This record gives sequence, structure tokens and C-alpha cells, in this order.
Amino acid sequence: MDENGPCITTEDVWYRYSDEIVALRGISLEIPQGTFLAILGQNGSGKTTLVKHFNGLLRPAEGHVLVDGQDTSQRSIGQLAKSVGYVFQNPDHQIFCATTREELAFGPQNLDLLPEEVEQRTNETLELFGLAEHAEKPPALLGFGLRRKITIAAVYAMRPKILILDEPTTGLDWQSTLDLMLLLQNLHRQGHTILLVTHDMKVAAAFTERTLVLRDGQVLLHDDTRSVFCQSETLRQTQIEPPQIMQLANRLRPLGMPEGVLTVQECFDAYSRLRAPA
Amino acid sequence: MSFNADLYVERDSWVHRMDPRIKVIFVVLGIVTILLFKNIFVVLLALVLTHLLILSARIPRENIVWVWKRMIPINILIPVLFVIFYPEGPVVFQFLFLKITPLAAVRGLALVLRLDAIAFLVFSWIFTTDQTKIVRSFVKLGLPYNGGLVLALSLRYIPTFYGLYGTVSEAQKARALDLGKGSFVQRLRQYLPILVAMIISALRTADKLGQALESRALGYSGARRTYYHDIAFRPVDYAYLSLILVAFVAVLYVRFGLDAGLDLINPLP
Repeated sequence: MDENGPCITTEDVWYRYSDEIVALRGISLEIPQGTFLAILGQNGSGKTTLVKHFNGLLRPAEGHVLVDGQDTSQRSIGQLAKSVGYVFQNPDHQIFCATTREELAFGPQNLDLLPEEVEQRTNETLELFGLAEHAEKPPALLGFGLRRKITIAAVYAMRPKILILDEPTTGLDWQSTLDLMLLLQNLHRQGHTILLVTHDMKVAAAFTERTLVLRDGQVLLHDDTRSVFCQSETLRQTQIEPPQIMQLANRLRPLGMPEGVLTVQECFDAYSRLRAPA
Repeated sequence: MSFNADLYVERDSWVHRMDPRIKVIFVVLGIVTILLFKNIFVVLLALVLTHLLILSARIPRENIVWVWKRMIPINILIPVLFVIFYPEGPVVFQFLFLKITPLAAVRGLALVLRLDAIAFLVFSWIFTTDQTKIVRSFVKLGLPYNGGLVLALSLRYIPTFYGLYGTVSEAQKARALDLGKGSFVQRLRQYLPILVAMIISALRTADKLGQALESRALGYSGARRTYYHDIAFRPVDYAYLSLILVAFVAVLYVRFGLDAGLDLINPLP
């Protein structure tokens, strides 16, 4: 497998829930290895339907989905789960074990690993996600932010190269969102490919490298995140507004602010340069 | 017809317009009638009548086929079990201890046709009455409002929990849970992660729903409820009711006065 080649390729993928509801209309794209990708779009634009194709939960009606060069139609969900982890939106749809430790061990156990390997992975994951103090507690009774973190940890424990997260920051306060995103950024730096389905533009702008915008089951934009957010006219077609700091920076462009400011830090730096004596 | 917990089929037919309370009475008396007779031809007649009733309510044929498909296993199983375990009358074929007797097959068939007739009777009611009306009719027949609400909510949440089952099994499959392999016990155990996660979700939903209903003043003391959808008898409903009662009295006379319909083959007294 080529190091920088695509880890996910879709070729003209169509998916229909019924004759009337066509969720994907000919999606062709390549997701490079090791990327941190945001997937944006209105409700019903096909975000979740698309990512469910990557771990085999859905199979295309037409077209092909290749993960690591192999067609997903040839592989079971269980086989794909080794390389593609999928974290569902609602943690309560996943949590069922009596302790957090067991919850984290469940996935690796399904992969037929040696018990020592399962234990080692579980312990490492507990450490990495800062869940050690909750290891013996029943996860279903923990707070929402922790439950969310546990479901991500439980999928991470299977060591998938690709991690898909469906709206992981919904319902989290900013501090928890920040903790979670820093954790994902850390995983990304370790070489994981991360796909983030989100409605949070601030998060997408601050943390992801690339952005895919879907509209009506089709690809509207797919580029690096900065270029995507610079195309505000196209984004408006699907009711997406760039992050507020970017909108402010755009308004300040006549005063010398550069184009494509994504974060508060970038805005501050650009402003400082403007004010600095020549 | 795909699975949907609400089996109601929206049409404008005389059965749909009938007061739901009368339909409840009709179904109950109908079931009693079917259970009173053992004769295979009487049971067949009841089965034909229920089909005519459903068709006259302009329910699509697919729905009838859908019910039959669900009844097939029991329709095969019961006559076969009767032939194996309850041989009676002349033997046409014998293999070791197994005696094949046509009479046992007919008895099994009569029993299963009775179940079919009862099933179609109940479906003639469910296909033609929407859930709110079913619940309203029970409340009007004396069920306390909270009882009716519990019934309505249970019906309302069947599709939700069916959807939840789909999502939860997807979530567990994404963690490499492999369903449907190994022995029966192993396969049952594989469903545990789905079951437990569903129970946890259901309890959370129930808790939130209770609070939401209270926040909307359910059980607010001293207030009388008003109903958005109310049901009332029309003159024709009184006619239906009289007809049903007269027919039932006639049925009782035929069965107990004339002692007819008890023999398996011969319907006459």
C-alpha cells in the first residue's frame, strides 16, 4: 500500500433508501492516508449515509467503495472493523458493559486477539483517554461527556487506522469539545486517518486539514479546509456560514486583513502584523 | 408490505367509518363465535367472511398476503403435529410407530383454520382502525385515561424501538460483533450487547418522556380533559350494533339450541 495513497476511494457511489429517497448521487472521491477530514452538509445531505459505506454498514446500490484498495463488497463489517472504526452519534446506542474496562475490551475481544493483547490495549486506551479512574465504574451511569469519550475509546481500542466519528461534539460544552478535539488531533499526529462528520464550523476550521461538503447526496466541495471556507458563495448554497472569526476577518479585508483567516489565533497574528511598525 | 408497527391502512370505507367501539365488540363476539364451533366447514365459512370483510374495506390484497405469509409456519406445523401425535380413524399408511390417518390431518387443519379466522378477524380491525381511535374506543369503553395513554404510548414507541434496534445493532457490528454464528446459545449471547444497550436507551427515553409529559401538565389535578379526536355513534352505528347482536344471538341458537356445528365433518345437528 502506497504511504500517501488514498485509504478510501469511492467510484460513482449511489445509494437509495427507497425509490423516492436517493441519499447519494454518484459520489467519487479519494481520501488520502493520514488526513483529518471534516464532512459538512445540511441534515439529509448524505453525510452519515456516505460514511456508513466506509465500514460496510451500507453497500452501494451502484459504484464501488475501496478501503485500502479492497472493495468493501468483498469484506464483512467485522473484517472492515479492524481497519475502520466507527463511533455512533449517541453513546447510549453502544454502551452495554458493567464496567468501562469491559466496554473497552469488547471490540478487541471480537477481533480474536490473545487475552494479554486485549488487556494491554485496554490499559493503554484507558491511559490515553484519561479514563483510568473510571475503569471499574459502570459506563452507562457516567456523565454524557464521559460516555461519549468512552465510546470513542472503545472503538479506538480496536486500533483502526481510520476513525470515523459522527457528530462527536454535539451536546458537549466547549471545554469537553476542546479536550476531545485535542485528543483526536493527537491520534491524527500518530498517523490515524480521521473523518469527522460535524455541524460545528469552528471545530472543522480549527482542527481539520481537509473538508468535504455534501449537498443533496453530491459532492459540493472537497479541498483543504482553508480553501473550502474561502468559497463562501458556494457554501451559502447549502446554508453553511464560515466560522464567525473568518467572517469578521473578511469584513476587515479592506483594512489590510489577509484572506483565509480561520482561527482566533490567526486573526490575532494577522492583526498584530498589521499594527506592527514597518 | 414492509414491516411497520402501525398496520393501519388509510381508506374511506364503511368499515373504517364504523365506530371503533362497535369494531371492538364485533371482534370479541366474532372470536367467541369461532371458538364455539368445531366443524371445519363452519370455520372455513368464517375465514371466507373475514376475507370478504377485509376486501370490502378496500384493504389491498398485499396486506392479506402479508398476514398469510406470517401464518404459513403454524399452518404447516399444527396439521403435521396432529398427524404424528393424535392418530384417529382409518390408517392409510404405517411406518414403524407412525400411523398416517387422514382424520387427524383434517382435525389439525380445522384447528389451524380457526386460528387463521381469528387472526384475520383481528387484522380486519387493526387494518381499518388507526391507533388513536383504538385507544379512544378503549377509554370510552371504561379504560382509565392513563391506561389508554400507556397503551397509546406503547404502540407509538414500537417503530421507535424497532429503529433503535437497527441503530444499536449497527453500532455493535461496527465493533466487530459477529451475529448469527455458532450454536443456538452462542447466538443468543451475541445479542446481549444489543439487548443491554437497548434497555439502557429505553430506560433513559422512558424517564425523559415521563418528565416531558409532566411538564405538559399531564395529571394536573382538578382539570377535565378535552379531546381533539372524539368519537360518537351515528345512526348507522346503532344499526350495525343491533345487527351484530342479533347475529350473535342467532349463532348462540344454532350452536346451543340446535346443537349444530360440533361434528368435525358434518355441520348439521
